[in-house]
Amino acid sequence: MLFPTIDFAIFFAVAFTVNWLLNPYAGWWKLSMIGLSYVFYGWVGWSYCLLLLATTVVAFAGGQLVTIAPTQRGRRLAMAFSVAALLGILGWFKYYGFVSVNVDNVLHGVGMGQAVPLFQVGLPIAISFFTFMAISYVVDVYRGTLHPARPLDFAVYLSFFPHLLAGPIVRGGELLPQIRRRRDGDAIDYSRAFWLILAGLFKKVVISSYVASAIVTPVFTSPGQHSAPEAIFAAWGYAVQIYCDFSGYTDIAIGLALLLGFRFPINFNAPYTARNLQDFWRRWHMTLSRWLRDYLYIPLGGNAGSEAQTIRNIMITMVLGGLWHGAAWTFVIWGALQGVGQSVGHLRRLSRTRRGLPAVAEGPVRIWVQRVLTFQFVCLGWVFFNASSLSQAFAVLGRVFTGWGEASPLVTPLLALTVFGTLLAQFVPPISVSRLQASFSRQRTAIQVGFLGVALLGITTFGPVGVAPFIYYRF
Amino acid sequence: MAEREFVMADVADPPAAAPQREDATGSNGRRPPPPDRRARARWTRVLGLGAGAFGVWLLLFAPTLQHNAQVSPVGTRRTVSLDLVGPIAALSRSLQLSHLVSATGRSNRLPGGTEGLIAVGPAVHDSRNARQQEVPGATTTTTVPPNPKEPTAAAPLRVLIVGDSVGLDMGGPLQSDLASTGVVNAALDARESTGLTRPDYFNWPAELTSDMRTAQPQVVVVMIGANDAQDFLGPPDVPYGSPRWNGLYAQRVSQFMQIAGSSGALVVWVGMPPMQNPGLNAEMADVNTIDAQQAAQATPPVHFLSTDKSLGTAQGGYTAFVTDAGGQIVNVRTPDGTHLTPSGGQVAAQQVVAALQGLGYHIP
Repeated sequence: MLFPTIDFAIFFAVAFTVNWLLNPYAGWWKLSMIGLSYVFYGWVGWSYCLLLLATTVVAFAGGQLVTIAPTQRGRRLAMAFSVAALLGILGWFKYYGFVSVNVDNVLHGVGMGQAVPLFQVGLPIAISFFTFMAISYVVDVYRGTLHPARPLDFAVYLSFFPHLLAGPIVRGGELLPQIRRRRDGDAIDYSRAFWLILAGLFKKVVISSYVASAIVTPVFTSPGQHSAPEAIFAAWGYAVQIYCDFSGYTDIAIGLALLLGFRFPINFNAPYTARNLQDFWRRWHMTLSRWLRDYLYIPLGGNAGSEAQTIRNIMITMVLGGLWHGAAWTFVIWGALQGVGQSVGHLRRLSRTRRGLPAVAEGPVRIWVQRVLTFQFVCLGWVFFNASSLSQAFAVLGRVFTGWGEASPLVTPLLALTVFGTLLAQFVPPISVSRLQASFSRQRTAIQVGFLGVALLGITTFGPVGVAPFIYYRF
Repeated sequence: MAEREFVMADVADPPAAAPQREDATGSNGRRPPPPDRRARARWTRVLGLGAGAFGVWLLLFAPTLQHNAQVSPVGTRRTVSLDLVGPIAALSRSLQLSHLVSATGRSNRLPGGTEGLIAVGPAVHDSRNARQQEVPGATTTTTVPPNPKEPTAAAPLRVLIVGDSVGLDMGGPLQSDLASTGVVNAALDARESTGLTRPDYFNWPAELTSDMRTAQPQVVVVMIGANDAQDFLGPPDVPYGSPRWNGLYAQRVSQFMQIAGSSGALVVWVGMPPMQNPGLNAEMADVNTIDAQQAAQATPPVHFLSTDKSLGTAQGGYTAFVTDAGGQIVNVRTPDGTHLTPSGGQVAAQQVVAALQGLGYHIP
């Protein structure tokens, strides 16, 4: 079920009411949330619910096995087996097609025929998100940082509909305690929740949709036929599109959770204000970044070893992070670019430290140059991220160098205003948003209702007919 | 254990004492600094606020919702939507509230897709590439139209590609391939969720007529039909699959072919590929059969291209993987079992180009 639909609005009205009516009755509340979340997930295909159920059973059993294993070796084996099973499910659905086609093409090339059977495996929505949450639960229990959950608590944790489809990737330590305790239905932070939901809808339905149709889709569909300014704006535009799409989803998810009495971790923090790639990854899809850090980068050794090992660990982490997004070479290149960028930054910092060089003066010019360069590098990566093939990505990039002197009818003042306005909005002082929310909460009920209704009208009026699924649904 | 610097992503939740903020666009970021002056509310009040806001929006937006329901596929959902929204839309109109939305032109939006005709490739001049040629022995020059089968950069072949979302999957690569030859001006107009059975939703004959006027094509490539296995709206409704439906659909296909070929353009009609869903596959087989019959009866004949084997098994069944012209195994179908991947679109595009070459068009 998509958030920006009437179906979901009706669903949420029911879920909200059930949530608070059953709040005093923990058992019934959990059962109802599980039921509602499965209805939410199964809206597009009930078979997917079996997969969610299977993942829940495997991860919960893994946590129990880890707990009851009498020896450290047994605990380790139980954890490894559970994680392997979860990754196996993910691998089958997400990577089998990619791997089998590539292996068969290699074998075919050396005259060995097609050794690997080809199947088209449908990719269940959100499988990457709930698999990562399930893995983090098992590993946290193994590490002793999390007590094993009760069955119903765990089922709510994994399936809770506000985060189910595209995150944030919430840890057990963050959500399970909130599930266990009763929430306060008399103190809902509704002005922040409504703000987040409206802002998320506006970003997704209006900004992201407009930029996609105005520049990104036309240029990426036939890059050879567009000018250099159009190719550049397509890359910048995609940066805006994916930010508004994904952070819009996250805003709505966090807002919905707030209305239900839950707090989710933040997932974006003005990412295009970043001054280097490391900074960017502290601000972009933060819950994935910390997952990769805690469950992949550090277990690989982090930067505790030699420089070469650190670079290796960064590259492995980012390339696998790229592959997490999708089974395609474009994502591999995107991840590798992130890894190379971070490695270069790491080596530069290390070099300065070793040479005992003083800190560089942080003037505004230097800061803005860093921001602009970081943004351009991020956009370079986005070209590969959005392209359907490597050749398409290179075709778009090629136009940046060869498409000068041609007409650029797609680069309109409205497009430029939208792109630059969205980027500059990240620098607006956050206190103003807080003041707006506080001001809203002090208004009379009739004014609040009118404002919310008209804001919704504006969003639906200026959005397209029908809303495309969120980009991150397919991850 | 040595202390580790988190190089790649030191993004743990900020410490409680760290300053937090939101970015101005909403989220994201950091929570507002204390003191928090926002009032909290009981859940029943929040429910009332939400319901009230939804009610205001519904009252203002009901006419558009009614329009959207009217043009949606026939079925229970459409019927229920119309029944529910109808009275609210009537109230909205009687209160003159609908003007608020109609003033924005919202109801005039078109279905997604290319959202219009996009032409790429060598420029086509107003003279439509007629070239001046001196006739030996004559004292005057005469205008000779260029041979469309021998296109040049100065006199490019004008190709128009139209279709639904599957047509878009094929049309994008085809347009790109043709335009990159430097001797073809390729125009693409493809619309998602459209077809020939629901002109109330999108009027393809009118659109094609307009496209023909704008692009003045010498070749028209059509790939349409994926959404056509549905009832014709009446009154009276004509149920899909009935003999009357088959006759009406054949008429619409024939009319579409006539418009496409009206200026003497060669019409290439690309059939729907095999579908993974058995029901949809059977429906598309019926649509293809009607298309092929009408193509054979058209005057001049329309060239029907079946994709059953190029995008299917040797027996014409569904498969997601085929071997392309380069000998590589490629995944040609998206996971929905209906649409084409970029590789699938490329395979179909290459089939069209090969067909044009087979018909004598010199396309490099």
